[in-house]
Amino acid sequence: MGVPAFFRWLSRKYPSIIVNCLEEKPKECNGIKIPVDTSKPNPNEVEFDNLYLDMNGIIHPCTHPEDKPAPKNEDEMMVAIFEYIDRLFNIIRPRRLLYMAIDGVAPRAKMNQQRSRRFRASKEGMEGAEEKQRIREEILAKGGFLPPEEVKERFDSNCITPGTEFMDNLAKCLRYYVADRLNNDPGWKNLTVILSDASAPGEGEHKIMDYIRRQRAQPNHDPNTHHCLCGADADLIMLGLATHEPNFTIIREEFKPNKPKPCGLCNQFGHEVKDCQGLPREKQGEHDQFADCPPGSEQEFIFIRLCVLREYLEKELTMASLPFTFDIERSIDDWVFMCFFVGNDFLPHLPSLEIREGAIDRLVGIYKNVVHKTGGYLTESGYVNLKRVQMIMLAVGEVEDSIFKKRKDDEESFKRRQKEKRKRMKRDQPSFIPGGQFSPQALGRGNRSSPQAISNPRQTAYEMRMHDKHNSTPSVSPNTSFTSDGTPSPAGGIKRKAEDSDSEPEPEDNIRLWESGWKQRYYKNKFDVEVSDEKFRRKVVRSYVEGLCWVLRYYYQGCASWKWYYPFHYAPFASDFDGIADLPSDFEKGTKPFRPLEQLMGVFPAASGNFLPPTWRKLMTDPESSIIDFYPEDFAIDLNGKKFAWQGVALLPFVDERRLRAALEEVYPDLTAEENRRNSLGGDVLFVGKHHTLCDFVSELYKSSNTEPVDLPPELCHGIQGKLTLNENAVLPDQTIQSPVPQLRDLTQNSAVSINFKDPQFQEDFVFKAVMLPGAKKPPPVLKPGDWEKTNNNGRPWRPQLGFNRDRRPVHLDQSAFRTLGHAMSRERGQSGSGIYSNAAPHGAYQGNPYRPLLGGQPQIPKLLSNLRPQESWRGPTPLFQQPPQRYDRNSGAAPLLSWNRMMQTQGAAFQQNQYQGLGGPMNYPHRPDDRMDRGRQGYGPGRPYPLPPPSGRYNWH
Amino acid sequence: MGEVEDSADGFPEQLRSYSENERHWQARREFILRNLPADWAGGRLDQLLSLSMVWANHLFLGCSYSKDLLDKVIEMAEGIEVEDVPQFTTRDEIMKKRQH
Repeated sequence: MGVPAFFRWLSRKYPSIIVNCLEEKPKECNGIKIPVDTSKPNPNEVEFDNLYLDMNGIIHPCTHPEDKPAPKNEDEMMVAIFEYIDRLFNIIRPRRLLYMAIDGVAPRAKMNQQRSRRFRASKEGMEGAEEKQRIREEILAKGGFLPPEEVKERFDSNCITPGTEFMDNLAKCLRYYVADRLNNDPGWKNLTVILSDASAPGEGEHKIMDYIRRQRAQPNHDPNTHHCLCGADADLIMLGLATHEPNFTIIREEFKPNKPKPCGLCNQFGHEVKDCQGLPREKQGEHDQFADCPPGSEQEFIFIRLCVLREYLEKELTMASLPFTFDIERSIDDWVFMCFFVGNDFLPHLPSLEIREGAIDRLVGIYKNVVHKTGGYLTESGYVNLKRVQMIMLAVGEVEDSIFKKRKDDEESFKRRQKEKRKRMKRDQPSFIPGGQFSPQALGRGNRSSPQAISNPRQTAYEMRMHDKHNSTPSVSPNTSFTSDGTPSPAGGIKRKAEDSDSEPEPEDNIRLWESGWKQRYYKNKFDVEVSDEKFRRKVVRSYVEGLCWVLRYYYQGCASWKWYYPFHYAPFASDFDGIADLPSDFEKGTKPFRPLEQLMGVFPAASGNFLPPTWRKLMTDPESSIIDFYPEDFAIDLNGKKFAWQGVALLPFVDERRLRAALEEVYPDLTAEENRRNSLGGDVLFVGKHHTLCDFVSELYKSSNTEPVDLPPELCHGIQGKLTLNENAVLPDQTIQSPVPQLRDLTQNSAVSINFKDPQFQEDFVFKAVMLPGAKKPPPVLKPGDWEKTNNNGRPWRPQLGFNRDRRPVHLDQSAFRTLGHAMSRERGQSGSGIYSNAAPHGAYQGNPYRPLLGGQPQIPKLLSNLRPQESWRGPTPLFQQPPQRYDRNSGAAPLLSWNRMMQTQGAAFQQNQYQGLGGPMNYPHRPDDRMDRGRQGYGPGRPYPLPPPSGRYNWH
Repeated sequence: MGEVEDSADGFPEQLRSYSENERHWQARREFILRNLPADWAGGRLDQLLSLSMVWANHLFLGCSYSKDLLDKVIEMAEGIEVEDVPQFTTRDEIMKKRQH
């Protein structure tokens, strides 16, 4: 679901679903990296059975990263992908199955979105390259310095689409990668690996769902399998809920806003391309050890525990005195369905439902009101009851008018507040700012290791005084100031430029949803029809209803039709959904997906035609072509109330499938054998290593060269069922596997084996039941029981659970460890009482990698805490102060995403101080300036080099 | 509008796409009928359909195509009256505005 706001909303509303990942980092000894042994227990205190990778979420950041310089060539990209998977593998450590799914050709319903993304990406890429070229020339003309332009071509991210050579090559590389790890990594020893590359049709996450759905429907499936799905899309949460598996966890990169990006020209941080001056690179760190390492360190991962989300939803959706029995599983399905109204990849969202405006809460409220009258749930196993949906929609329709009015009011008041804030910022300057060596410095900037000592303060004070006399300026009173000739001028002082940011031209809004007649204007402007054109409006509503049915079915049963799509750029209003109860919700059966190259023709702009064979490409540019209308050179963007081009609706024409196929028929004979291979639809491939119980079975199949499909014996493979057929291009024991990447070695002693795998097949009209399976055990509850205070818990306060394990044991430091610490910490710092870090932020806090000690000469403490997160272990005194400053934002409401439950992270690394304080609960060593006040208040002896934790209260654990 | 009678097999109504409103269709219908080649039953019809879409997309959706192509379809559409053509801002125009 292309709704970034959805995840933010969800994680704010249901904070306990998030658990920060603990990641064991590879250690380094004498410059040799020691890989982590992933066969050891998972440090997150949970064991996962299956890991599913939605690979496109990995491929994109590895091939064109936003937060670090781009890889130089395709080989580097592949290595980056391998490393990324290794990292995930180390965190999750699946014990049974690794399923890697790359997006294959998508259903037609997705094509509109794909087209729009690719047409935009192509334009953005070209604009970016042009701007870079222009600025590069300017800088060089001025004598600036820039690293020589690499010969590489611009990486067109559009090549990450099934059917391109790049995707074919990626599949090859991944086969090599899997074989290598199965042979060499102890954590992979007993693992089954399934690779579904771009030749297998279907979007990655839906191929994964299809696999889970089909396995669940066969008797050998273990109902208590713990699934972990990796990917950042919000719809993975929906998909996970839709499985009704009790143990389902999602892992994704933690989103950090405003991450610094390197300049595209000189690769330095701190400015954008347009501000690049071509200055020589500054040394990063004393020995330049932080080169290539962006400030703020590596991306971290978070888990999203769907079982906790289910608990929350249960609390929220439970309704008393229903006219029918309450079933939480069905309610969850209804909730998933309602989330689709707010946004999904296949339909534009309803104009009145904005996630930022609490649309889901509103829907849930309406749902709970209406469900008494509907007499049942909205959905069942992915099929929609339109009569009941109509009741919900019309109830939304009733408040539509007031939603639009409120939206306008909110916008106005937001603008007003912004304006006032800007005014205030201008006015509220401090009346005196010390200058010279006393001038304030931004915290954490610069590379100096400590502030300069103050020299000759009286002289400076005198200078400041004299300076002030000469120009008794801006700040006599906060409200008036003086122009240079001494006359007072109105607040704001020196005449500011006329174009202040608040007078920036607003995009014209000719819909004005808050004014009466909005419906008329909307239909006129968006569809170019009169509101009286009832027939047309019915068409739009009908398509939208079909869309809702299609999407829900897609999530619960698989692709109902490869051909269906929503043929408009905008949605109707909720109030238009009357009379939908009797609309048909069936789809054409037996539809087939596009072939990869056909889909490329459907989603690429002519500018990406280089990925296609010459005669195919010609169809995109030749004025005589019978499909030339699919490929406009430029297209309109309807900002639709938004501010930036990328937020608007791209008005691209829809593809006429019949004409596309007819046109391609003539150029099909031009395909080479290789292109024909890339254009064919493939399937999934299963890999096992020699220790796997299935290995001998598969090897025997190859020996017998049986070409018939064979049933996979579920007892050999944790209850997985499916059909196996011999693979022509298989990885076979005792055969050398060529490395597709020059910097990696060939596998000369391979013992892994691969074979084609096909999911269990069911009748076309089979319905996958959306229920919890018999034998499934719900994981223990995490949320505080509603009646905690009432029940007798021996007066114990509720203790929130932070990780996967309720009985997690905090790490404990014994007395000798504290002695060692005291010994290693520099005494002077503590004794001075106001050491440099007690009144100023740690210098170098932003300088990068937080787990490498800065000062090489400091004594290091031997591995005290080898099982800690390495970045929080005590290697020396400095690293302590280098943790990214967000760590301390726990009580800042402004950044809840960063801080919701950092406690959990620190828990692992915390030092139990019970023996000193008699306090329960793990605490990290905070180094906030205000902690100084606490020093000595508690049991620490004088001269203790580290301040105490905040007094109390914040964690409420005592 | 159309002087040519609709033939029995639904031509040209069958060429109307589902999402096309009456106004847009009537304009495009006329475009097609005016430029219908004598041997329209052959494969040439698709090319005409494509050109009609180029014209309609340009007019009603704000798409822009190469100059040659646009000149061609505008010439083909000469005489077809479309009132009250919607206004659009193309992506390039938006980006240009931002730069200045």
